[in-house]
Amino acid sequence: MAEKKHYRSIISREAQLLHIPTVSVKNMIEGGVDIIDARMVQGSVVISIDHFKRILASLRNIFGGKVTAYESLVDRARREAILRMKEKSPNADIVLNTRIETSTIGRSANNRKSIGSIEAMAYGTAVSYRK
Amino acid sequence: LKYSPKELKTNVNVTQTSSLKEFFILIGGVLAFLVVGYGALGFLVDFIAPRLPYKIEQALSGPFGHNIFDVKKNKESEELERILGELLDVMPGEVGSYRVTLVDDNLVNAMALPGGSIIVFAGLMNEVESEEELAFVLGHELGHFANRDHLKGLGRGLVFYSLFVLLLGSDSSLAELIGGSLAGVQVKFSQHQEMMADMYALDLLNRRYGQVTGAMRFMEKLASKEKKGRLAYYFSTHPHPKVRIANIKSKIRN
Repeated sequence: MAEKKHYRSIISREAQLLHIPTVSVKNMIEGGVDIIDARMVQGSVVISIDHFKRILASLRNIFGGKVTAYESLVDRARREAILRMKEKSPNADIVLNTRIETSTIGRSANNRKSIGSIEAMAYGTAVSYRK
Repeated sequence: LKYSPKELKTNVNVTQTSSLKEFFILIGGVLAFLVVGYGALGFLVDFIAPRLPYKIEQALSGPFGHNIFDVKKNKESEELERILGELLDVMPGEVGSYRVTLVDDNLVNAMALPGGSIIVFAGLMNEVESEEELAFVLGHELGHFANRDHLKGLGRGLVFYSLFVLLLGSDSSLAELIGGSLAGVQVKFSQHQEMMADMYALDLLNRRYGQVTGAMRFMEKLASKEKKGRLAYYFSTHPHPKVRIANIKSKIRN
């Protein structure tokens, strides 16, 4: 299944990029560092819902409860977006002020005429120090 | 402040479940609801249909006309009307106004339309050899009217459709997924109705002619022409001719 393959890729790339902290604070908290570069970086990904997930979710709509079929979809999209953002700045020391936005693409996820997709976009400020 | 990278092994944002297991639990719930709802409302329909006054039945059957067919008027149709009239004379209970129409088509078939109209296709007239055989066919269709089978069919169809719209909305891909699963039950039910109509026709034949050999001859003719096996008849609306013969024989014995 495409999802399992994607998760394997996400986990291995996350391990590779673990040395770049991604934080949501706006200002540098570390003192005594000399900033030589600061630039905005962003990464985004669009992931489609498959038919099986949609059927599972519409069954879930009848009874209510956690829509687990979509949980992994959103999780994958957000982690992939952060990964792509980090891959844009492989030499950065930290990414500050990280934000994630999620939106739907395609008219409506539960409309039978169109299969919906979600887009996740992560953006932040990549900062490099003088060493 | 020292940053020491650490990999997280668990993911709290995704519930760890098997999606296949969840699918079967959910679909099981939907099916259970449909079966229970369909069963309960279906029995309600079967309870109400025979008790519905004849006038309401007529009003409900308004849209089912027979003017879509190529109607034939000749000696044969007059003969049909005469046999029907004689059967109606011996029909027990409340007798409505029934009509018979001969339709110019090679189909070997007859059917009962809601509203008391019996359609006989010309192909059938070539097959039958005696008045009694024809009377059996007409009696069978009269049996459907007497048992209010068409009303039950309409009612059950309505129940089925309402349940689907209630559950899934009128525009859902799930409707197709579950759609076929209850059709088997519906067919089985109508096979029982066909048997009851046969029994009703036998009774009418016995009242009118004092014997039922015509019915046996007609069914045996059908059986000899039938090439499909019994298994193929499981999903058919009518029972296999041999099964119908067996039932007729046991009825005669009683």
